Amino acid sequence: MGNLVIEAHDLGIQFNKGRRKQRKLREMFIFRGNNRRTPAATTDFWALRHLNFSISHGEAVGLIGSNGTGKSTLLRLIAGVLTPDEGSVVCRGKVAPLLELSAGFSGDLTGRENVQIVAAMHGLSSQQIKSKFDEIVDYAEIGDFIDTPIKHYSSGMKVRLGFAVITQLEHPVLLVDEALAVGDRKFREKCYKTIEGMLAQGRTLVLVSHSDADLKRFCKRGIYLRGGQLITDGPVEDALDTYHDFAKV
Amino acid sequence: MWRQKSVMWMLVRRDLAVKYQSSVLGYVWSLIDPLVQALIYWFIFGVLYHTKTELYGAGYPLFIVSGIFSWMWISAGITESAHALTSQARLITTMRVRREIFPVSKVLARAVEYLVGLPIVVLFAILFHGTFTWRILVGLPLSMAIQGVLLVGIALILSPLNVLFRDVERMTRLIVRILMYTAPIIYPLSRVMESGMPRWLKDVYQLNPLVGIIDIQHGMWIPQLFPKPTVILASAVGSVIIFLIGVWVFRKTESAVLKEL
Repeated sequence: MGNLVIEAHDLGIQFNKGRRKQRKLREMFIFRGNNRRTPAATTDFWALRHLNFSISHGEAVGLIGSNGTGKSTLLRLIAGVLTPDEGSVVCRGKVAPLLELSAGFSGDLTGRENVQIVAAMHGLSSQQIKSKFDEIVDYAEIGDFIDTPIKHYSSGMKVRLGFAVITQLEHPVLLVDEALAVGDRKFREKCYKTIEGMLAQGRTLVLVSHSDADLKRFCKRGIYLRGGQLITDGPVEDALDTYHDFAKV
Repeated sequence: MWRQKSVMWMLVRRDLAVKYQSSVLGYVWSLIDPLVQALIYWFIFGVLYHTKTELYGAGYPLFIVSGIFSWMWISAGITESAHALTSQARLITTMRVRREIFPVSKVLARAVEYLVGLPIVVLFAILFHGTFTWRILVGLPLSMAIQGVLLVGIALILSPLNVLFRDVERMTRLIVRILMYTAPIIYPLSRVMESGMPRWLKDVYQLNPLVGIIDIQHGMWIPQLFPKPTVILASAVGSVIIFLIGVWVFRKTESAVLKEL
């Protein structure tokens, strides 16, 4: 414990409900992104606002909440693929994002080419890729199909290959967005084991899930979001209880 | 930074791999395309209109080919970088890399195609009385550097704007077509200078960074066409200005673009 890996201060992000209006372009250039003087347009809403929390090294945190309460948005903010409109979020250390497992694959290329490209984009060197390639293929249980264009893969195969690449990353922060809900039971169990293994190595995990069992299995701490606000931040059971109490009513 | 460089290189590789994966002729297409265009222009302007006199003994085919290959990089670079972000939205929204590398990698991928086509230009220079001088060694890196900076700048402007307004893509196609005829690609610059256009219009014409770039390309093989230092300087300064505008636009729009993707 001790050293903080993820820190959010008064974090907020705003989205536009309707289509972007002409007026917005002008504002984009006049106002800075983190300006407090936010344009008072009725079509804008805060997907997340006034979030304060920090996550220490080695912690496993579950994000809980109904659909559309900003869980995935928060994950993307932590991953740095969205930028906040208010406040800040800092993430120290490389992030292994499991936001969308087959992202970066091109259908026309073979499994082999895709693995090489995606692994390199995640920051692996070509030697690392070479030495880990067989492991990735074994893990994904793709076999001979590795030289088939990915567009002919089943969706399960694509996801398995995508996950297999991520497992080879040594990044200290894992962000998981329900990606594990896909795939058959056998492979899911394998994924879970892998993630448990990664946690045992002292990596930090932030998990978005609707499954109580999954959340309790991996996480000790839970953050419950409702309407873009942080409602509960504490032991995962407490957060789940608050969530269920609210959902019942 | 090193990591980003390798990511960029991977994107370039992927771009080229995807493009040539399912075609039999593969990269030969990137040669056929400009050659066919050159053939058309040669027929119209070389055969029908006799654009020969101003070329100092070199053949019109050399003139047209040396311009067209460079132009292909420009036109493909502009049109493809316009949807550099929209077409790779899923990747951008899941991976933390500097977003600039997506448009930049498009420009680089087209640069690779340009380099691959260079031997064809050399072949034309041999066949159609090109002059081999030091200008080739100076002109090639110089024109490529100016062109690279210019295209990256344009890519940084167009790619985020296209996310916010899809009109940009269509507008780009139109503008590229206009640019093609407002640069001395199929006609020599002297034709413009000797035309009846008012003086100020000629000056404005020469402010177009493409004029310097394309004329260096011609001058590499036909020394008399090598542009004056002022034209090169104007071209370089113009490119740097557009590059700086691009960096600024990209930074300003980045957060809105990420939300929209």
